[in-house]
Amino acid sequence: MLAVAGHVARKEAYQILRDRRSLLLILVVPILLTFLFGKALETGELRQIPSVILNQDGSPESNVIITAFSTYDEVRIQGEVATRQEAQDLLAQGKIKAAIVIPQGFMRKIEAGEEAQLELLLDGTDNNSAPIVEGVAQRVIQRYNAERAVRGLWARGVRPDRGRRLIQPVFVQTEIRYNPGLQFLGYVMPGVIGLTLQLLTVMLMAVTLPRERERGTLDQLMATPITRTELILGKLLPYFGISLLNVVTILFVADRWFNIPVAGRLPLLLVLCALFVLSSLATGLLISTVSRSQFQAVQIAIFYILPVFLLSGAYAPIEAIPEYIRPISYLFPLMYFSRAVRAVTLRGAGLLLVWKDLAILGGFTLIFLYWAVLSFRKRVA
Amino acid sequence: MTLAIETISLTRRFGSVTAVSGLNLSVQSGEIFGFLGPNGAGKTTTIRMLCGLLLPSQGTARVAGLDVARHAEDVKRCVGYMPQRFSLYGDLTVEENLDFFAGVYRLAGQERRRRVTATLDRVGLADRRRVLTDHLSGGLKQRLALGCALVHSPTILFLDEPTAGADPPSRQRIWDLLYEAAADACTILVTTHYVEEAERCQTIGFMHQGRLVSSGSPEQCKAEMAEALLEVDAMPVMQAAAVARGLDGVTGVSIYGHTLRVFAKTTTHLRHQLQEALTAQAVAVKSIRAVPPTLEDVFMSLTRGASESEGVR
Repeated sequence: MLAVAGHVARKEAYQILRDRRSLLLILVVPILLTFLFGKALETGELRQIPSVILNQDGSPESNVIITAFSTYDEVRIQGEVATRQEAQDLLAQGKIKAAIVIPQGFMRKIEAGEEAQLELLLDGTDNNSAPIVEGVAQRVIQRYNAERAVRGLWARGVRPDRGRRLIQPVFVQTEIRYNPGLQFLGYVMPGVIGLTLQLLTVMLMAVTLPRERERGTLDQLMATPITRTELILGKLLPYFGISLLNVVTILFVADRWFNIPVAGRLPLLLVLCALFVLSSLATGLLISTVSRSQFQAVQIAIFYILPVFLLSGAYAPIEAIPEYIRPISYLFPLMYFSRAVRAVTLRGAGLLLVWKDLAILGGFTLIFLYWAVLSFRKRVA
Repeated sequence: MTLAIETISLTRRFGSVTAVSGLNLSVQSGEIFGFLGPNGAGKTTTIRMLCGLLLPSQGTARVAGLDVARHAEDVKRCVGYMPQRFSLYGDLTVEENLDFFAGVYRLAGQERRRRVTATLDRVGLADRRRVLTDHLSGGLKQRLALGCALVHSPTILFLDEPTAGADPPSRQRIWDLLYEAAADACTILVTTHYVEEAERCQTIGFMHQGRLVSSGSPEQCKAEMAEALLEVDAMPVMQAAAVARGLDGVTGVSIYGHTLRVFAKTTTHLRHQLQEALTAQAVAVKSIRAVPPTLEDVFMSLTRGASESEGVR
C-alpha cells in the first residue's frame, strides 16, 4: 500500500516542482499574508483616535483639562475648533472621531460650587473608538476632581497625602499574569498563523482531484488497481512536506516581527503546526473528493475558510459568540490550534496542558481522511 | 478457445438515455476484436464498463473470467486501458509517466525498471524518455499512452480510438505494436472509425444505437450485408447520384470520385431501371455492375439512418 502511495507522492512532487509559478506563490504567499495580517491587526489596539477640542471657556481650568487629555496615548488632539458647528462638520466628514467640548462658564460654575460639565461629541459608527475616548474622559475628570478635592482639603489644613487617602481610600491592585502588555496581537497572532496555514493547505488540496478529473488523467488512474487509500495518502504526503516548509517560515515571521516567543517552544509549536496542517490537508482532500470541478472545489473551500476566522475564536474569544452558535466553533480545527498556540506562546504551557488539543487535531485528521477515502468513488454508479 | 470477454444483456442507462442496450458480446482469447460504430453508438460506454470504470445498469460482463460488477479491482489488474482522450500527465516526462503507471500497477524494484525500459524500447520512445509529455507530437503521445496501457503486461487490452487523428505512418506503428501484443497472447478490443483498420481485425462487431447489429470476421460481415450493391460509373456524377436517390428501392448512395455506390434492398430490376433513368436524364453511363461490399459499405449500410438520429444520443 505504501509503495503505491509513494509513487503517487513522487508524481505529485514532480508536478508541484515543475509548476514554478505556483510553487513561488505557495512559498511566498504565506509569509506575505502572515506579515500583512499581523500588521493590520497589530493596530487593532486603538491609539491616536483623532479628536479636536472646542474650548468655549478659555479659562485656566479648561487649559488644565486640555493638558490632561494630551497625556493619553489613546487620543490625538488635532487642534482646536472655534464653534460647535465646526466640530460637528468634522465628525460628519469622518475627519475626527471625537470632539471634547468645554462649555462656557466651566470654571465659573466650578468656583461657584455648581455642577460643571465636560461634553463629548462622539462618532458612534466606530463602536470601538467611542468608548475609548469616553473612558479617557472619565479618567481625566476623575483625576481632576480628586486633585481639586485634595487642594480643597489642604486649604482646610489636611495634608495632601492624607487628603488623597480620604478621597480615594481603595485602590485596585492588578497583576496581569500572561501577555502583560494586554496586547491584542499576542492573542490574535496564533489565529493568523493558523488561518494562513489553513488557507493555503485547504485550497491546494481541494483542487487536486478535480484537476485530474478535468485533465482526464483521473480516468486513466481509475482504470488501474490503485486503492482509494493509496491515492489519498499519496496526494497528502508531498503537500504535507511543502506545508511544513511554510510552517517554518511563518513561525520565523511571527518570531521576528511580531514578538511571538517561538524560539523556546519550537518543538511543541512544530508538532502543533504539523498536526494542524495535516487536519487542514485532510479537510481539503475531503472537499476535493466531493467536488466535480476545480471551480466548485474553490467555491466550497472559500465557504469553509471565510467563516472560520471569525467563528473559531481565532480573532475574538468564542465567549463573544452567542451561545447557540458556539457549538459550530468546536467543529473547526483552527479553534483548537489557536487555543493551544496561545497557551504555548502566552502562558508558556507545555505538552501537559495542550495534549488534549493535539489529540483533537489528530482526531480531526483521521476522521477527515477516512471520510475523504469513503466519499471518493473509483467507479461511476 | 476460451472467452476473454463475454457480456450478456449488458445495459447502461444515463438518466433516461440508454447508451448500451442488451449487448451480447463474445471475444475469444488472443484475438484482435474491432469495435465499430458511429459516434454515440455506445462503444466507449461499453469499454468503460468492461474496464470497471462504470457500473452496468443491467446484465453481466465477464472480463478474464471475472464479473466486472463484483470484481472490478481484480479486472483492473489484468487489463490495460487507453482512453479516447489523452489521459497521461503532460507535466511528467515520458519515462516518469511509464514509471508511475508501472508503480501503480504494483510492479516493484528491478522488475519495474526492466518493464519501463522494455516498454520505452518497444514503443520507440527510448531516446525521448526525458522529454515532457506535453511536448510530444500527437502520434508519439498515442504511442506513449499505449505503452502505459501495456507496461504491466495485461492479458486484455482496451483501446478507445488509439489512432484517432494520427497520420498513416503513426497508425501503422500503433498497429505493429498491437500485433506484437497479440502475438504475446494479449486479447485486444479496439474501437476505430477507420475501416481499413477494421480489416486488420480478426473479428469485428458493429454497434449502432447501443446495440450490436453485426459481428463476425470482416469477410462474414461483408457476406451478411443485408443490402445489395451496384457500382455505377457515370458522368456527371452529382447528377447521377440525384437520379439514383430518386429511384424506388434505393436505400443509399455514396459517391467515390467518378463512381457511385448504390445500395438497395435488391438489385434484380434495379440495374435496368437505373440505366433507363440515367439515360433519360442525359447522364452518360459507362458501366453499372453488381460489386461485393467493402467494410465501409457494410458500415454505411448498418448505420443507415444514423445521420437522421444524430444528436439524439
